[in-house]
Amino acid sequence: MYWIKNKKIKEVIGIVIIGMMLLSLVGCGTSTSDEEAQPSAVASEGEVKQEEEAVVLRLEGGDWGYPSPYLHYSRGPGGYKMQLIFDSLLESGEEGVIPWLAKEWEIAEDGLSYIFTLQQDVKWHDGQPLTPEDVKFSFEYFEKHPPVWNPVMVGNEPIVKEIEILEDNRLKFILGEKDATILEKIGTVRIIPEHIWSGVEDPDSFQDEGAVIGCGPYKLTDYNKEHETYEFTAFEDYWGPKQRVEKIQFVPVSDEIMAFENKEIDVIGIGSDLLDRYQNDPQFKVLENPAFWGYRLSLNMEKNLLFKEKDIRQAIAYGIDQEEMVEKVARGAAIAGSAGYLPKNHIWYNPTVKKYPFDEEKAKTLLGDKKLSFELLTGDSNAEVRIAELMKISLEKIGVEIEIKSVDMKTRDNAVSTGNYEMALIGHGGWGRDADILRTRYSDIPGYENEQINALAEEQLREMDIAKRKELISALQELIAEEIPMIPVYNTTGYTVYRPNTYDGWMYMFDHHSVSHGKLSYLERE
Amino acid sequence: MKKVSNLIKAFSFLGKASVMVMMLFFILAIIPSLLTSHSPYIPSGGALTPPSTLHWMGTDDLGIDLWAQICHGARSSLIVGFGTAFLAAGGGSLIGILGGYYGGKLDGCLMRSIDLMMVVPELPTMIVLGAFFGPSKMNIIIVLSLFSWTRPARIVRSKILSIKEEKYVKVAEGYGGGFSYLARRHFLPQVFPLIMVNFIKLISRAIVAEASLSFLGLGDPTSKSWGLILNHAMSFRGIYFTDFWKWWIIFPLLCIVLMVLAISLISKEIENLLC
Repeated sequence: MYWIKNKKIKEVIGIVIIGMMLLSLVGCGTSTSDEEAQPSAVASEGEVKQEEEAVVLRLEGGDWGYPSPYLHYSRGPGGYKMQLIFDSLLESGEEGVIPWLAKEWEIAEDGLSYIFTLQQDVKWHDGQPLTPEDVKFSFEYFEKHPPVWNPVMVGNEPIVKEIEILEDNRLKFILGEKDATILEKIGTVRIIPEHIWSGVEDPDSFQDEGAVIGCGPYKLTDYNKEHETYEFTAFEDYWGPKQRVEKIQFVPVSDEIMAFENKEIDVIGIGSDLLDRYQNDPQFKVLENPAFWGYRLSLNMEKNLLFKEKDIRQAIAYGIDQEEMVEKVARGAAIAGSAGYLPKNHIWYNPTVKKYPFDEEKAKTLLGDKKLSFELLTGDSNAEVRIAELMKISLEKIGVEIEIKSVDMKTRDNAVSTGNYEMALIGHGGWGRDADILRTRYSDIPGYENEQINALAEEQLREMDIAKRKELISALQELIAEEIPMIPVYNTTGYTVYRPNTYDGWMYMFDHHSVSHGKLSYLERE
Repeated sequence: MKKVSNLIKAFSFLGKASVMVMMLFFILAIIPSLLTSHSPYIPSGGALTPPSTLHWMGTDDLGIDLWAQICHGARSSLIVGFGTAFLAAGGGSLIGILGGYYGGKLDGCLMRSIDLMMVVPELPTMIVLGAFFGPSKMNIIIVLSLFSWTRPARIVRSKILSIKEEKYVKVAEGYGGGFSYLARRHFLPQVFPLIMVNFIKLISRAIVAEASLSFLGLGDPTSKSWGLILNHAMSFRGIYFTDFWKWWIIFPLLCIVLMVLAISLISKEIENLLC
């Protein structure tokens, strides 16, 4: 009798356990929405108060290095943090380059000298005044010690031959050669204080507070590498437009969208799946990003000589189904890459370049009866692994075997910069910059040298007439598309969502995909 | 075989249900291609279609059938689970018997190395080793076994220490019974239930460990394991704000939970009946 009872009890317990398991699974889904609702109510009260006082913005953190010109990580989130602290002569506005530390400039008739007039009463974060000597010093210092971003050298040549300090806060830059993009180049070089850096012999290990004294709108008030947090505070003696945001904090988040829903961060990027959730709600504002961030497939022709054959490169390009990747990996929020590199949103995009739609037959004809296999290096983000998987599937159809090796982002970046890969999938921003990027991108492909591309790239750089230069760039894109030394995969668009009640000063720089990178997003504008 | 079926007959309702669940997973693992007409590697439908008659667990972001992936994932989970348990329980008990029987310096060495293995933090070391040797099923099995043999070894050793002092063992020794004779006739039959229980516990531990390694992205990125399906699903941006989690996360999660639960219930039953 007893054991029957016992058995019954066990049965009941079993059913209850299974029931609880199922409930807990369902519970996972509903409880998240409960959690969202509560803190947000509390947070919104707090924010009303905040608006009267000072705006504090919280953005997604992550360690992108110490924001000195030498120690930040060489990607957008690192470089643009550094640029909040360090100003340059010119700045990227909504429409194009705008005057910044230099309030005006004149170009000599021969195009070989530029005279910049500096703003008055510019102060460093430590209270010292900025002088024209600082500007001259910065260019000379960067020549000796190249910074992570904004180099003053093109190849082995400095962009400026000589800098003369004139009276009335003016500087004269004398060039050795004509350069169509010289304004952007001089304009983006960061200005660093001579009184601090003149004594620094090894800038790569200079990491005390002095390394982040700039004359930009924000001071670094906290950085914690382990917690991956940063705090930037408005510099009260800033020469320029008043800061609308008092503090910018970068905080660690595990799930970006969850954090945004809980009001832990104030701006996020989303794909098309969540568009409906935010688009018709007046509480949120949605912006569509320009497609200036993208993935490309690099082929290392030093590691594998097969890539030197144009037919094989073209076959691979035909064997990659860009449209499928846009649809599946980017969920429609992307534009298939142009074989001529410059993306569709670029002002100088050439729509007539050769296209490589997925075409099994063409690819097979180009390959002949070769059976190839390559190792594809990717980062470990979900999108990269998924792109790699789709590449593997579609390339298998044309008879190319792919072995995927997935490593973390920094390892991949390092392998790509040291040339230690066969094929690499890499994603980065900056696709919207001046078309001169074609010259830099296509001149340092390992093992690849094309006289025609180099000549055209050089010619466009020296061409000062905009219409003529545009023609040269178009021709260059056509040549690149035919040669296809690397394969642009797709450029992401995606959307930016924020709460206009908290802060609505977001703005895109004319050539950039992210609203949170440009310093103008945090300053008063006309 | 008869012993096993008698054992299962003695199980409670929960134990029998667990055995049924395990049998189902075995069937999934052995004949996945008979159970699904879709490939677990190649897209066979639209991306993220909800469960339907064609794809009855829906598809993932690439349009690959989830049911097919789960069937193939069952195989890799079971291979890792049983492979690890076999290596660790087998190797561990051998070491335990040797140490317990011979004692002295050998025992000291073995026990100290067990102490050493026990203080090494498991997950961080597994992550480092996983990253170092590169992601593959074989490596995962070896790395997991390296960290799992200590428990069976200790338990078996202490049991052997007490058996060794029994009079009949002393008598057998006196008549010239060597190590292999004693191990076969006296030690193994007595420690077998202990090994069995440990073996089964190890299986569920290894399955969870494999899933978590894959989930952390240290498994083979293109293999189809349950942990990896979850990894892809959970790193899908804002998946909880869409409908996709209802099939893409729930099904693999349910499989992991069910399998681990079934294995632990079986091990509990065996423990109750044998030990």
